[in-house]
Amino acid sequence: MGVHEAQAYQDPGTPEEQSRRAFMANVTLAIGGVIGLVVAVPVLTSLVPDTLIRPDKGKGTWTPLSADEFKKLEASTDTPVRLNISFKTTDAYLPPAEDSQFVWGVKLSPTQAQGFQKNRPDLYADPAGKVDYPAVTMNFVIFSSVCPHLGCRYNWSADAKRFICPCHGSQFSLVGEHEAGPAPRGLDPLPFREANGTAEVTWIDYKTQQPARVIIAYT
Amino acid sequence: MASIIDWIEQRTGAVSATTEFLTEDVPGGASYWYVFGSATIFCMILQIVTGIFLTFYYAPSAATAWESTKYIYDVVPLGWFVISLHYWGATAMIALMFLHLLQVLIWGAYKAPREMMWIVGVILLLVTLVLGLTGYLLPWDLNAAAASEVAISISASVPVIGPTIAQFLYDGTNLGTLTINRFYGLHVWLMPAALVLLAAAHLYIFRHNGSAGPPVDKDLKRLPQGRFWPNQMFMDAAASFAVFVVIVLLSIFSPAPLDEKADPTRAFIPFPAWYFLALYGLLRVAGASPGPVVPIANLLATVVIPGVLVTWLIVLPFLDRNPSRRLTKRPWAMGLTAISVLGAVALSVYSQSAIAQEQAQTPAAPAPAASAAAGAAVPAGGKGAQVYGANCSGCHGASGQGTPGTFPPLAKNAFVTGDPKPVVHAILYGLSGSIQVNGGTYNGQMPAWKGQLTNADIAAVATYVRSAWGNSAGAVTEADVAKVAK
Repeated sequence: MGVHEAQAYQDPGTPEEQSRRAFMANVTLAIGGVIGLVVAVPVLTSLVPDTLIRPDKGKGTWTPLSADEFKKLEASTDTPVRLNISFKTTDAYLPPAEDSQFVWGVKLSPTQAQGFQKNRPDLYADPAGKVDYPAVTMNFVIFSSVCPHLGCRYNWSADAKRFICPCHGSQFSLVGEHEAGPAPRGLDPLPFREANGTAEVTWIDYKTQQPARVIIAYT
Repeated sequence: MASIIDWIEQRTGAVSATTEFLTEDVPGGASYWYVFGSATIFCMILQIVTGIFLTFYYAPSAATAWESTKYIYDVVPLGWFVISLHYWGATAMIALMFLHLLQVLIWGAYKAPREMMWIVGVILLLVTLVLGLTGYLLPWDLNAAAASEVAISISASVPVIGPTIAQFLYDGTNLGTLTINRFYGLHVWLMPAALVLLAAAHLYIFRHNGSAGPPVDKDLKRLPQGRFWPNQMFMDAAASFAVFVVIVLLSIFSPAPLDEKADPTRAFIPFPAWYFLALYGLLRVAGASPGPVVPIANLLATVVIPGVLVTWLIVLPFLDRNPSRRLTKRPWAMGLTAISVLGAVALSVYSQSAIAQEQAQTPAAPAPAASAAAGAAVPAGGKGAQVYGANCSGCHGASGQGTPGTFPPLAKNAFVTGDPKPVVHAILYGLSGSIQVNGGTYNGQMPAWKGQLTNADIAAVATYVRSAWGNSAGAVTEADVAKVAK
């Protein structure tokens, strides 16, 4: 019909009618606003990530080290051992899935334990590199198997007595100190503890390519 | 501000288009009688908005449909509210659509020149019912799967092409992950797209013809004209707001239900959505007819009667060609409308009460397959499981699911997994009177087992019910029982 043909709009009406119409227009807009708000708030709230509301939920779980693996660690001297850990990961509503990783375990001699802090300035002197858990527990250090350069898995070279990354040649000492190559920091220690007679590790993914230790994810 | 609006108007024509849209005569003046259509559109928008946000979490597959829905309830902030708005919004939309249809029927507003608008409206109703049916499956809980199984089985009973239709709906020969995908595609993409396009066409045709106005045999142009904006819009907004308040209150005080995950081994009497109760009732009546007549009665109930009704609706404007819209001049149309409405209401009431009755009876005597499967699923409970199976499962169900209305479920029951003392007390001394568990009311009689079972047996069964079927509360010792039994 439109503006030109509509009859009802030809006569502007009395001042009372005009003010009544203004009132109705305002109430209509207000209703629209209220409904919009009552819908917008919950639907937008629903997008807030769970990890933002419950950051502690993502703080990782302790994964037990099998008795055999721990024996290997205890028996090692001046040679790191590769330890396998397996754990359940839960991804939102999916059923828990089995996942596994390996870490490098080092048994420090008393001298190495004493000198650890001095030899690892990237862990202690640099505030950005600090971790909020003890790096050394009962003279054991557990390193993430991920190279802090670009995320490759490094190896232990028995000849060189160093950890060497096959990708770009970064080298680290037995205590994880950065010795050579492009890596921006030393190796990343993982939380390690003894609980009820079992050794336990928490796997953490750290951001690579930078001197600072920034946690990306826990298991 | 004004210059910005001018700038936009010059480049888009948006302001004049809006003005054009809002400037519309309402024959006979604005009226609350005209709000049903706009309130339906409001519900449609609400469904689209809430539906979009549900897809941020919902994952359509047999392994994730129920799990992701549960995640929406339990973890997603205000997720329960969004899903409940969608649930109650669907009911409101369909209810308003029926009212809208009824009003157009009674007022004879489908008559020339509005035949096309009417036909598009009838198709909109069908599309919305398909949306209701497909959405019903998606949560993939016991009721969703069982009700969809019934719906697809009904389509399979259509002569000749029925089995093929059913295979298309299942995407196979039975309900499964592909069925969920299929219903998801229909519910989330195809049907909403059809709904929006058809609703746009419906509105466009509405504007082309103008309002039908009240059912009087007068030249509409001679009636006093009211304004669409703001007078009619105000009433539309007020009605939509009232509907919205009801949806919000229902969502808060009666959130959308989510049953346990669909499990084909569990005997379950499904209940259809209320808007399908009449069709379901028709089917029950057919099933109850004398033996030899059943196939014909089934055909009538599943194909002929619904088909005739829809066809009648579509061709109505061409049958009822008398230009008069007065109610008294249209006895046939009015009579058939009244019979259809009364029949639908009676059938709905009948189905509702019949289903309630069946549900009250069924789980007390679970199908053998169901109890065997549940028994296998329960971790070896040893003595507690034996005591439970021999004394408790008759009422509380083989998998602790209870009996609706009478005996409460023990699975996922906070009382059972809470402080063990009242649990032991209930087993020892029984319980009576009405109780509430997870939103359901139960009014059965729990017998006292003191003297019937030893303290050791009671400890074992209490430990069992607190740790089986997803419960994970601590064990109860014989000494604990002895303390309460003093």
